[in-house]
Amino acid sequence: MSDIDLTLPQSPAAVEGGQGTVKDYFALLKPRVMSLVIFTAFVGLIAAPGTIHPWIGFVALLAIAVGAGAAGALNMWYDADIDAVMKRTAKRPVPAGAILPGEALGFGLTLAIGSVLVLGLLVDYVAGALLAFTIFFYIAVYTMWLKRWTAQNIVIGGAAGAFPPMIGWVAVTGSVDMGAIALFLIIFMWTPPHFWALALWKKINADYTNAGVPMLPVVAGQDETRRQILIYTLLLFPITLLPSLTGTTGLFYTLAAAGLGVMFIYHSIRVYRLREGVEAETACKKLFGFSTLWLFLIFALILVEHAAGFKPFAPVLG
Amino acid sequence: MNEIVTNSPFGPEDMARRRKRAIALALILAALVVLFFVTTLVRLGGSVAERAF
Repeated sequence: MSDIDLTLPQSPAAVEGGQGTVKDYFALLKPRVMSLVIFTAFVGLIAAPGTIHPWIGFVALLAIAVGAGAAGALNMWYDADIDAVMKRTAKRPVPAGAILPGEALGFGLTLAIGSVLVLGLLVDYVAGALLAFTIFFYIAVYTMWLKRWTAQNIVIGGAAGAFPPMIGWVAVTGSVDMGAIALFLIIFMWTPPHFWALALWKKINADYTNAGVPMLPVVAGQDETRRQILIYTLLLFPITLLPSLTGTTGLFYTLAAAGLGVMFIYHSIRVYRLREGVEAETACKKLFGFSTLWLFLIFALILVEHAAGFKPFAPVLG
Repeated sequence: MNEIVTNSPFGPEDMARRRKRAIALALILAALVVLFFVTTLVRLGGSVAERAF
């Protein structure tokens, strides 16, 4: 008897999708943003008055991290059209075709609901509610509405990035108080100069222009953006010292934060004054780089002061 | 004997990708089970068996 070869040519799959790798799904979470969220939430957890069981603290940080990742995935779902046009974001999983928009949406929603439930049920209801609001704010208020509508998008929308230390704080205390608000305000006021310094780079500016995103340099011009960067940096200086007024930090933090604030103002003044040529571009890149380091150092200072057992000032506010 | 090969729409690369995703998902689910179990123990505290009803 002869063998009958019934091998048929492979037909295309009837259903689209299913092409994303584990690495692609991880990229949806915006891991670099997640790491900053975890760090600031951790500082909020440590700086808060009171104690929390280490395991519960770990669960809180894990839920906050996954919630931040969920927000990133949902942002990548909605902004797939803009991301495809911008060189900086064209290689993200959805515009690159590795993951379908619907898959990113399902993935993000599952993680969002799961992280909020875990945080609310296993740690604290108020913290869970705050995480839910943070995700809602980032997606509905910033991504879907403000980002494409107003040059003040990053000013208001930046609040989403300011919530994590507050959530970490609330995980310990169960309520929002002035100490948590002070940490929130630091990141809130830091966000505009940080992202506008990035938006001033020639390539990034071109990207936002092509995509039609109304970032401040695209709408109001470079000069106005430099002016506002300086204004926000000057406003940031006293806000950075708020934790010392709320009884969270003491002399060590106050002096170090003041020094870092002066350096931040120096970089902002350079961006304000240097407006032409390579020097101007370099000043913007240095400001962006320094502002990234600044935020890490400010929160690290809170951690170091707490770990070293330095006594905080008596609270004046709250 | 005769071999019948079905007309699968998924090639070897697709199957490898799906397998890796399935393993990742299984690990995450297992981690969730551990998370809830340990958190329950922590929340209940010690000497649970000896407490009065």
